[in-house]
Amino acid sequence: MRRLSTFAAAGITASALLLTACGTNADTSSDEGSASASSGGSGDLKVALAYDVGGRGDKSFNDAAYAGLQEAKKAAEFESTEGEASTDEDEATRENRLRGFADDGYNVVVGVGFAYSESVNAVAPDYPDVNFAIIDGFDPDEEENANVAYLTFAEEQGSFLVGAAAALQTESDQIGFVGGVNNALIQKFEAGYVAGAKEVNPDIDVAVTYLEETDVSGFNAPDDGQAAATAMYDDGADIVYHASGASGAGVFDAATQADKFAIGVDSDQWQSASAEQKPHIMTSMLKRVDVATKDFIASVESGSPQTGYTTFDLKADGVGYSTSGDLLTADTISQLDGFKQQIVDGDIKVPTAP
Amino acid sequence: MSTTTTTPRSDSRIRTFQHAWLLLALVAVVTVALVRVVTGADQLTATGTLRAMILSACPILLAALGGLWAERAGVVNIGLEGQMLLGTWGAAFLAYHAGPYAGVLGAAAMGLLGALLHAVATVTFGVDHIVSGVAVNIIGLGAIGFLAKAYFNDLEGGGPRNLSGYQTLPRVTVPGVSDGAAWLADRHVFGISDVAALVAAATTGVSLLTVLVVVLVAASAYILWRTPFGLRLRSCGEAPEAAETLGVNVIRYKYVAVLVSGALAGLGGAYLTMVSSSSFTVGQTNGTGYIGLAAMIFGNWRPGGIVTASLMFGYTDGVSLLPSGGIVVHALLLLITLVLAALALWRLRQGNLRSALTIGVIAVAVLVWYLSTDSVPRAFVGMTPYVITLFVLAVASQRLRMPAADGKPYRKGQAG
Repeated sequence: MRRLSTFAAAGITASALLLTACGTNADTSSDEGSASASSGGSGDLKVALAYDVGGRGDKSFNDAAYAGLQEAKKAAEFESTEGEASTDEDEATRENRLRGFADDGYNVVVGVGFAYSESVNAVAPDYPDVNFAIIDGFDPDEEENANVAYLTFAEEQGSFLVGAAAALQTESDQIGFVGGVNNALIQKFEAGYVAGAKEVNPDIDVAVTYLEETDVSGFNAPDDGQAAATAMYDDGADIVYHASGASGAGVFDAATQADKFAIGVDSDQWQSASAEQKPHIMTSMLKRVDVATKDFIASVESGSPQTGYTTFDLKADGVGYSTSGDLLTADTISQLDGFKQQIVDGDIKVPTAP
Repeated sequence: MSTTTTTPRSDSRIRTFQHAWLLLALVAVVTVALVRVVTGADQLTATGTLRAMILSACPILLAALGGLWAERAGVVNIGLEGQMLLGTWGAAFLAYHAGPYAGVLGAAAMGLLGALLHAVATVTFGVDHIVSGVAVNIIGLGAIGFLAKAYFNDLEGGGPRNLSGYQTLPRVTVPGVSDGAAWLADRHVFGISDVAALVAAATTGVSLLTVLVVVLVAASAYILWRTPFGLRLRSCGEAPEAAETLGVNVIRYKYVAVLVSGALAGLGGAYLTMVSSSSFTVGQTNGTGYIGLAAMIFGNWRPGGIVTASLMFGYTDGVSLLPSGGIVVHALLLLITLVLAALALWRLRQGNLRSALTIGVIAVAVLVWYLSTDSVPRAFVGMTPYVITLFVLAVASQRLRMPAADGKPYRKGQAG
C-alpha cells in the first residue's frame, strides 16, 4: 500500500509538472509571423492578432476576427501576424505574447477575447505608441487606458432574435442552450436567448447547460458539446443554440445525428459547416467581430485610432442573425424584423443576465 | 474470481459467488430505480444521460485498458495522455486524407510511436517510468501542436490548431430493439424502464468504434488471463526474475505490452476526434489519459474493474454536462447514502466497529445534505467525477493490489 501512495504522489507531481510545461510552451506559438506575414507593406501599419482559446479555424469567434483582418487587408496593404493561445495558459503568457508583438514593432495589437482584458491593461501603459484593442474586453481598473479600444457587443440582442426564431419554429416547445463557460459574457447570450423565446411563447421549456464553470477549455471541447446537446435532443428538445466557440462543432454533430436543429454563433456557421451538417444549422447569431476588427484597423490607418468603449448593437448592425440555408420561414423572418425594430426603438429591453 | 481449491465446500462457494453477481446486479437496478422514483429525478437513468455516459466512458476505458496492458507487464505508463494526444492527430490526419478506417489505424500507429519511445527509455535503458512517461506527455503535446500547424493550417476546414471536415465512422442502430427499448424507457416503469433506457442507449446510433471498444476489452481479458501468452506477460509484471529463469523473454514481453498499451491509448484519441466529436483540436484530451490511469487503479488492475470504473467516471462526467445536472447529482446523494449505509452495516458485521461508525457518520451527513436542499450547486456538479474518485479510492484502497513488480526497472539477466 505504501508503494501505491508513492506512485500516486509521483503521478500527481508528474501531472503538475506537465501543466507547468503546457503553460510555458504556449508563447512559442506566438511567433507565427513568417508564415502568415504578408510582405510588401507600404505604410508603417503592422497588425498583430492574438487569438483566444480555440484559435483560428474554430469557425466561430476567432475566425470572425481573422475575416476582419482579411477585409482590412483588401483596403490597405500592411504586414500582419497572428498568435495562438492554448487552453491552460496564464496571464504571464498572454502578457509575453502582447509584449512580443509590441517589441517586434507591431503598432496595432488586437486581443481577441475577454481573456486579454487583464494582460492588455498591464502591457498597454508601457507601449504608449501602440494601439491596442480588446474584443469583448473591459478595463479591470478605474482608469481607462488612453491607447486601448474596448470593443463590446450587445450579444443579448442578437441572442434574443435567435431565441425568438427557435420558439417560432420549434415543434416540441422544448429548446436548449449550451454555453462554453459559465461567466458573465456567456450568460448574456443565455439571458437574451431565453428572453426571446419567452417573448414568443411564455410557456416554452428552455434547457440550459454550461460545459465548464470557470475553465476556458469549455470553448475547446467538441466532445463535451456533443454529449450535452445529445442529451438535450434525447430529452425532447428540437433546437439547440450554442455559445461555446470550437465546442459548437460537437453541437452540430449532435443535431445532425439526431436529425434536429442547431443555432450557430458569432460567424455565419452555415457557411463553414460540412455538407451533412448544413441542413441542420437553422440560423446563426451574428456578432460582427469582423466589422469591429476591420473598423479598428481602418481607424488607426486613417490616423485617428479608436479608444475607449464602443458597443456594437442591433442598431449599428453589430449583432444580428443569418438566413443562409433558407431554414427560417418567411413568417419567422417577418416576425423577427418586428422584434428587431422594437429592440432598436427601445420598446423591448433585453436582459443581460439570466 | 477463479480460486481453484478442490474441497467441495469451496465449489459450492464459487457457485453462490456467481449467483451473487446476478443478485448484485438486480439489487443495483432496484436501488437505482428506487432512488429515481423517490427523488423524481427521471434524468438519473434517461436514455440521453446514459448515452452521454457511454460517449464519455469509452475514451477513458481505452486509456485504462492501455494502462492495464503495460502495468500487467510491470511498466507504469503515465505517458497514456501523450499517446492519446498523438492518436488524436493521427486519426484526424489520416481520416482527412484516406478515410475514417485509415484514421483509426493512424491513431493506433501514432499511439504506438509514443509507446515505442516510452518502451525504449524504460525497458531498454531502465529510465524511471514516471520520468519517461511525463516526457512522453510533454513531447506528445508539443509534437501535435507542431504537426497541426505544419499539416492542417492550409487545409480546407483546417487551422493552426484544429481540423474538421473529415469523414467519421458509420453509426449503427439495432432495428426494432432500439425503438422498442426507447418506448419502454419512456413509460417510467419501476426497474424495467431503467434497464430499457440502458438497452436503448447501447443500441441507438452506436459508432463502430464503440463496438470495437467492447471487442477490445473482451479480447484483452481473454488474452491476458486465458492464454499462455497472457500468463507469461503477467508474470513479467509480478516476478520478472522468476519468469526469466523459466525461459520467458522478459524484455520482449514488456515491449509488446507497452506497444499494445500505446496503440490502445491512440485509439482513445481516435474516439475523441471521430466519435465524441467530428473535429480535431490541439489538447482535446483534457486529461482523459490521467482519468484512465485512475480508472485502472480504481478497477484494481482487472478488466471487470476498469469497465465499472470507466462507466462510473463516464456517468459523472456526462451528468456534469446535463441541463438538469444539479438535480441528478442531488438524487445521487441519496444513492450514495444508501451505498454508505450498506457498507457501514457490512463493516459492522465484520466486527470493525470504528470503520462502521465513521462510514455511518458520513452517510448521515450526506443524507442531511440531501434532505436540506433541492439541488446541488453547479460548481459542485462539475467537481462530481473527482469527488467520487477520491471517495471511492479512500474506501476501496485497502483492497487494491497492483502487480508486484510494477514500475520497477528490470535488466536482462537480473535473476543471476
